Amino acid sequence: MSNDGGAGGTERDSTAVVGLDQRVPEFSVVTIPTPLVPSASSRWRTSMPKARKKVVPYAFIAPAVVLLILFGIVPILVAGVVSLTDLDIRGLGNPETIQFIGLDNYDRLFNDPAFWRSIWTTAFFVGFGVPVIIVVSLGIAVALNYSNSRFFRALRSFYFLPAITAIVAIALIWGNLYNSQFGLLNHLLDMVGIAPVGWLSDPETARVSVALVAIWRATGLNIIIFLAALQSIPQEYLEAAALDGAGRWATFRRIVLPMLHFAIFFVTVTTLIGWLQFFDEPYVLTGGGPVGSTTSISLFIFKNGFGLNQFGYASAGSIVLLAIIVTVTAVQLRLRREDHG
Amino acid sequence: MTRLTTHAKVGATALVAALTLSACGGTTAVDATGSPEPGTPQGPLTVWVMGDSGANLEAAVAPFTAETGIEVKVEAIPWDNVNDRLTTAIASGSGPDVTQIGLSQLASYIEGGALEDISGYIADYPNLDPANFPSAVSPDSMNPDGGVYSVPWVSDTRVLFYRSDILAEAGIDAPPATWDELRSAAETLSARGDGQFGYYIPQWDAPLPVAYAWQAGAELVADDGSIVLNTPEFNEAVDHYLGLYADGSVPTAGDFDQAIGFISGAAPMLVSGPYLANAIRSQAPDLEGSWGVTTVPANATSTSLFAGSNLGVWSGSKNVDASMQLLNFLADPETQAAWYEATGELPTANAAFDYAALTSDPLVAVYAEQLQDAKLLPISTAWDAASSAMLETLNSIAIGGADKQDALDALYARVDEINAR
Repeated sequence: MSNDGGAGGTERDSTAVVGLDQRVPEFSVVTIPTPLVPSASSRWRTSMPKARKKVVPYAFIAPAVVLLILFGIVPILVAGVVSLTDLDIRGLGNPETIQFIGLDNYDRLFNDPAFWRSIWTTAFFVGFGVPVIIVVSLGIAVALNYSNSRFFRALRSFYFLPAITAIVAIALIWGNLYNSQFGLLNHLLDMVGIAPVGWLSDPETARVSVALVAIWRATGLNIIIFLAALQSIPQEYLEAAALDGAGRWATFRRIVLPMLHFAIFFVTVTTLIGWLQFFDEPYVLTGGGPVGSTTSISLFIFKNGFGLNQFGYASAGSIVLLAIIVTVTAVQLRLRREDHG
Repeated sequence: MTRLTTHAKVGATALVAALTLSACGGTTAVDATGSPEPGTPQGPLTVWVMGDSGANLEAAVAPFTAETGIEVKVEAIPWDNVNDRLTTAIASGSGPDVTQIGLSQLASYIEGGALEDISGYIADYPNLDPANFPSAVSPDSMNPDGGVYSVPWVSDTRVLFYRSDILAEAGIDAPPATWDELRSAAETLSARGDGQFGYYIPQWDAPLPVAYAWQAGAELVADDGSIVLNTPEFNEAVDHYLGLYADGSVPTAGDFDQAIGFISGAAPMLVSGPYLANAIRSQAPDLEGSWGVTTVPANATSTSLFAGSNLGVWSGSKNVDASMQLLNFLADPETQAAWYEATGELPTANAAFDYAALTSDPLVAVYAEQLQDAKLLPISTAWDAASSAMLETLNSIAIGGADKQDALDALYARVDEINAR
């Protein structure tokens, strides 16, 4: 996966940005031509007519571009238009009743305390989940990297298991573990004399419980990414550090961590986007409750769109969410660029 | 898929049988089975049924197919996916011929234009006469804008479940019949100890506070169709709801399981539907005799919720006549009594309650009594939005600790905004 990118980034720093772009889906299609055009055209320069030379690279990227437009751009545009209407189930049946209401949906949205609440809830999830995921998966990856024995390889599969388990099974099992009446966790607490905790029934605790399940589920994939990046660090660097008398911590801080720069950036971007769209765990575990305390922006949109059939209002919400995600990601890209001069 | 093919086979067999009969026996055979004139192309009908009743419905309509020659294709839709299927079908304009409609979703069906106005057909089908059904499901109350878009099929209501053994132990001889008796009984019962409660309020149950409002005598929808919550009656209902929490009589845990709570005795009283009785009977058969049901505790009234499902003909169906025949068949008291035996879902036809299958169960008499004093939730999508806001508000005060007056004022403002839409 990203192991070659991690190494390549330090060997030839100029290619780091290209490598990065290929890994962030949102930007890949737009920037792939840049590396493709010069190398491809140099080979064909002698044998191909000029017009054809120009077309070929576009033909290669056409399928991806068409898919992106069809399933990425067009739905966003449709949502943008719908967000300016009062489309509900009545409008679905009788399109002639749909009215353009300008920015009324956005006005209503920004005056809706439930929407603001969902924004702060999402901010909590992002602020809590993203750092924990990065630290935990990096920590586990470093520990797993100590050995390549059969036991450690078995551990790797073990840590990856949550990532490939169906969300419904996860909801069922964690819902039972967390249950305040008959759950195992409270039973264990009871055995050591601690009062029962309302894992999913206390509004504040439920947020943390839901986030913990999501963290548990998301670390597996990120551990694999970090592990791949770790294993691609050239042995020479570590040996050189050892010769210079660097200890374990100094080696980690001065060699390993800088070499993981790209992997960490990649994990941060994808995790952040994922958590801004946080949906699965609260949907299956709490349905957004108790008292709306785990209703993320996505869940708010889902409830209004598919629960109350207010498609216009929900579209406005999703456009706002899109704007938030684009802004956050753009800031990150800018920071990274500045970082690398 | 196997279900469909089996059914196609059954249908084909029935068709072949009918043709053979009519070919060799002449008109007598056709008359005996009561089929319409041979040669009239009817059906096949596609029917949406919700939940896991698919196989039951196939069995239930077998006599109908045998009698009329109309083939019925049953498609079962999980309750969770109903709204998805509905919006998809409305947007694409392709639905079934006949559909089951959960009463809580009737407004969406009507406003989405998914249902055919069948008011012109009703008179031809004796089983569909509104006089056959409880007054709660009269055509007026189910079709706010006139017309007739659906007919009653199965009913469901909420009654008070109580553990007679636990109540007796606590010195309570009879189940509470009024709000005040309920409050004090619940308080007494919750004093049994830690983790013991007197009553249970499901935090997801939006109709419960509405039923309290009805019991307080509130009219929640004005004559002009706008929703009115800011009334003394509604406030009385709010106080009742919040009071049960303030007394410490109900669990605050959102994941409290009502069946487990009732069986273990942690929550020995609650308002629920017939499905809870079925759950108790199957999960704790040895509890038989130490629990019972009764009509809901009264304040100004003892009105409960009328829930259940209707049947309607999809708008633009090419088989309206055949669909109406199916609706008429399913509204037959005999069919409905058989349906109750197969699924435990209560009938809507009053006459069906006299069948042995229903009279043999003492609980059904209570359900039937409560159904006569039960109301439909208002049929409008604006109501759905107001109702979910109401539940959120009450829970935010009871569990989230929000200031009562602030939260209620915000709710009233929200309802004004919903009315203005």
